[in-house]
Amino acid sequence: MSEADQGFEPHIVAFICNWCTYAGADLAGTSRMQYQPNVRVIRIPCTGRMDPLFVLKAFERGADGVLISGCHPGDCHYGEGNYHARRKFAIFRKLLEFVGIDLARIQFSWISAAEGGKWVSVIEDFTNRVRALGPYRAYQEISL
Amino acid sequence: MARIGVFVCHCGENIASVVDCERVAKISASLPGVTYATDYKYMCSDPGQDLIKSAIAEHNLNGVVVAACSPHMHETTFRKAAQQAGLNPYLCEMANIREHCSWVHDDHEKATQKAIDLVRIMVEKVRRNHPLEPVRVSVTKRALVIGGGIAGIQAALDMANGGIEVVLVEKEPSIGGHMAQLSETFPTLDCSQCILTPKMVEVAQHPNIKLYTYSEVENVSGFVGNFKVTVRKKARSVNMELCNGCGLCTQKCPSRKIPNEFDRGLSNRSAIYIPFPQAIPNKPVIDRDHCIHFKTGKCGVCEKVCGTKAIDFDQQDELVNEEVGAIVVATGYDLYNISMDQPNDKLEGYGEYGYGKYPDVIDGLQFERLLSATGPTGGKILRPSDGKEPKNVVFISCVGSRHNAKGITYCSKICCTYIAKHGMLYKHKVPDGNAYVFYMDVRTSGKRFDEFWRRAVEEDGLVYLRGRVSKIYEQDGHLIVKGADTLSGVAVEVEADLVVLATAIVPQPNIEKLFQNLGISYDEYNFVTEAHPKLRPVESSTAGIFLAGACHSPKDIPESVAQASAAASKALILLSKPELEREPLVAKVNEATCIGCFYCLRACPAKAITEKEIKNRAGEVLRKVSEVNPSVCTGCGTCVSVCFSNSIDLEGFTDEQIYAEINSVIERMSVIQQ
Amino acid sequence: MNDERTLKIREIAKELLSKGEIAVFIGYGKGTCNGKARPIFVRTPEEADELIFDSTCSNNLVTYLKFPAVRDEGVVGIVVKGCDAKALVGLIRESQLMREQVRIVAVTCEGVVADDGQLQLRCQYCDVANPTFYDFLVGSPVEDQKPRDFSGLLEKYETMSVEERWEFWQSQFEKCIRCYACRQACPLCYCTRCIVEKNQPQWIETSSHLRGNFAWNIIRAFHLAGRCAGCGACEDACPVDIPLMLLNYKLEKEIWDYFHYRVDLDPESVPPFTTFKTDDRGEFIL
Repeated sequence: MSEADQGFEPHIVAFICNWCTYAGADLAGTSRMQYQPNVRVIRIPCTGRMDPLFVLKAFERGADGVLISGCHPGDCHYGEGNYHARRKFAIFRKLLEFVGIDLARIQFSWISAAEGGKWVSVIEDFTNRVRALGPYRAYQEISL
Repeated sequence: MARIGVFVCHCGENIASVVDCERVAKISASLPGVTYATDYKYMCSDPGQDLIKSAIAEHNLNGVVVAACSPHMHETTFRKAAQQAGLNPYLCEMANIREHCSWVHDDHEKATQKAIDLVRIMVEKVRRNHPLEPVRVSVTKRALVIGGGIAGIQAALDMANGGIEVVLVEKEPSIGGHMAQLSETFPTLDCSQCILTPKMVEVAQHPNIKLYTYSEVENVSGFVGNFKVTVRKKARSVNMELCNGCGLCTQKCPSRKIPNEFDRGLSNRSAIYIPFPQAIPNKPVIDRDHCIHFKTGKCGVCEKVCGTKAIDFDQQDELVNEEVGAIVVATGYDLYNISMDQPNDKLEGYGEYGYGKYPDVIDGLQFERLLSATGPTGGKILRPSDGKEPKNVVFISCVGSRHNAKGITYCSKICCTYIAKHGMLYKHKVPDGNAYVFYMDVRTSGKRFDEFWRRAVEEDGLVYLRGRVSKIYEQDGHLIVKGADTLSGVAVEVEADLVVLATAIVPQPNIEKLFQNLGISYDEYNFVTEAHPKLRPVESSTAGIFLAGACHSPKDIPESVAQASAAASKALILLSKPELEREPLVAKVNEATCIGCFYCLRACPAKAITEKEIKNRAGEVLRKVSEVNPSVCTGCGTCVSVCFSNSIDLEGFTDEQIYAEINSVIERMSVIQQ
Repeated sequence: MNDERTLKIREIAKELLSKGEIAVFIGYGKGTCNGKARPIFVRTPEEADELIFDSTCSNNLVTYLKFPAVRDEGVVGIVVKGCDAKALVGLIRESQLMREQVRIVAVTCEGVVADDGQLQLRCQYCDVANPTFYDFLVGSPVEDQKPRDFSGLLEKYETMSVEERWEFWQSQFEKCIRCYACRQACPLCYCTRCIVEKNQPQWIETSSHLRGNFAWNIIRAFHLAGRCAGCGACEDACPVDIPLMLLNYKLEKEIWDYFHYRVDLDPESVPPFTTFKTDDRGEFIL
């Protein structure tokens, strides 16, 4: 990280499903767990709703890291949405990697409504990782 | 023009101790589209809600953002408040500045900035919210029950007694299911028939129950509240109107050597037969595969002796259509096939136990028939091979169950208790006999079940040997059961006269075809999957379809009955409303741009999408597009993300809303210094 | 000089046209540029003599079938190579074409050449030299079906650092003039309103600028994932020579690795992004 980036605080955009991860994040709150305030949550009904376009748009708008999180396999409120998401992102991330996107800036997770602690650790780890990577200048430069 | 009101809640100290609510409100007021913003100590309190309502009226607001707790907590509250003020409830959203902000961050400045961001994101979303009306679905006040075993009977009776007309479909010629085959039931040793047959009679006589026996569900279409069901009434070859059930035909039928299914092959029946004496309906059916008339065109004895001219050799299968609002699936179980061809190559069977090879190796249901007063031996324990009373009986548990390699992995649950019952009843009938039980564990959980098996050991002297049986073979007229007693660590050999295998409980064969037709999920064993394993245990994955009994997992009678009544009450709840109201957060298709690739149709977990033909005035089909049935759509949005041209969108989470949220998420995230 | 396939194609086209079984026959005719064949539409038996087939017949004629104006003429006769047939089957699979709308003349193919006379890259990976989906098969069987193993081709890029890959692709996407020739030439890019033309919201910027160019090229490739027939039409059409097939091959490879799915000649095969398996790999998920 360059000197100019000292004190850099990353922008994390999290797309999380309404039923599991959102409720898990709520649980972290009701349990008064603490985590870094860099994340901004966009609530979607299900990771099945997650369009690859959302990720590109988030980076275009200056995100340094993007998190997608939903229900564990078998727990999807709609039965199957998370399975579709897993398929789509397994391949999409490979494509992004191939064109030079740093996959360390994208994280996918399953966090259930009972896993407030997991939400906290995912957010903490991801925020720290992206902070260490520094601002996503490469993408921001093409977005100017 | 957006005229949005932002209402920032202090939640007492819960938010305000970390987030500067006043500042959040002040900055919110300057956001584009925001007309009014304020903060208040408790927004969810009556005065707080009144504040929102009066602001809506006073400022003519067309959107509301309540920055407070999680929408899971109070979204309904604030949407109702908005509605009471004349605003469409779906124009109200919440920014979660408590669970996602004040409770998880202690840096006041950063938390305040985050709260401002969260409000801004929601303001941008609300600017693009649409007023929505609940999806209303009419309800056909009738129900279908598939399966006439104890679960189906209970569900049908409960619903019928609740005033709902019930269509009960049973594939066998009589209702009753496996319970009708049982001798006595654990742990009370009630006579199974004695407690079941009154219920069967009640079904037959109930004015609200339309009973189709010897019938199968051929097709199901439609959706919750409005299912269309086609039932195939198989040709019985007997006119049910004319037949008076005298049974003369069954006595005179010359074809008499057909294995009796009800006795599980331990006795024979005629080609025209009544499955068992208490059958409902108590009228015969011709088994066309074995009837001489159907095989050779000759005979016709039954026709000649029938006084009411009820025999109808020309009868055809009949398809009848029924419309129902709810469906209860109660298709029950079968026993794992231990000797013959297995339904899939994961299962290997138990050839080493000699089932099918040695007549005195039988399964638990066959033993029930030997115990039953109406069974082939009149309730005497006589072994199949020579009709002698067996003095040494070996019971083997977990045959097929809990076996990763050659059977199924799950526990069949009821066997441990029925083995205790079998041994106990055997000892009651043959007091000088010996009963041995080879077991892996004894799992008799259930009210008074554990006391029951201990009684079998302590009072009736059943001998329990912990270990698997490796082999059974015949020697000098005895069955040699080779096993191990792992507790004492010795090999055990029992000279048995009769061996009873507690074979695994599996779903009905090929039942997955029905489940596919119903559009409900099932697991790798073909048991129906419940909508939620904890909180929605009697609902299937498809709205309006409920489940009861062993089609869901191995169950004993009280559990099946409890689940049946639960399913019935769920169905009654559904059918008690004149129309269903559903959240309008459903997908909609832009027909102008939909190209009809039907990726959405394929991917939709709810099967809510169908093909729609776009026609010209002459009625010619110009093209096909996708169409969403809002009554079926559950609003996951998977369709949207598979659509290449984004020609399908999800209300409440539209592309425009999410785009606006992403667009506003970072723009002015000034607090986090770069 | 006419090879056997040319004569046979003419014969079939003539018969179909004279019997009135088809309204139009889409095949290849002699081109005017470097002796390279060009697509021709034949509507009378007499015109059928203009049809040829040789190693310069590189274009994928199936692209024309995505246009309603062509389908509206009536039943279409069409010459397809194996790769083209994959695209045609894709149109059927995705409800864009009915089987009875086409009379398929499939040609066994030993590979076609690019403008420079070299064998097309895609022909080195051809697993459909002997097409199996047709009404008429022309040409004698070709022996070697090749493995669709792109690892050698992709390795160079996969072993680059993230920064190098980014630089490489930015230098490619930078050239993009957003003419959408890749889309027009692709037989499976059949949407009447492409996502890039959706402006409420405008997910992909339309101006020829790095940001929009990047999103466009990524999304175009991803929309073809699990669908791309590998015909190379997009790359052939690209006026600024962006190596689009690299993206397509990469996706094909990953979809094979993850789901064991590959585009084939079976209209009933299930596209990978319309389905799932409960045990799909999710090694990237926490």
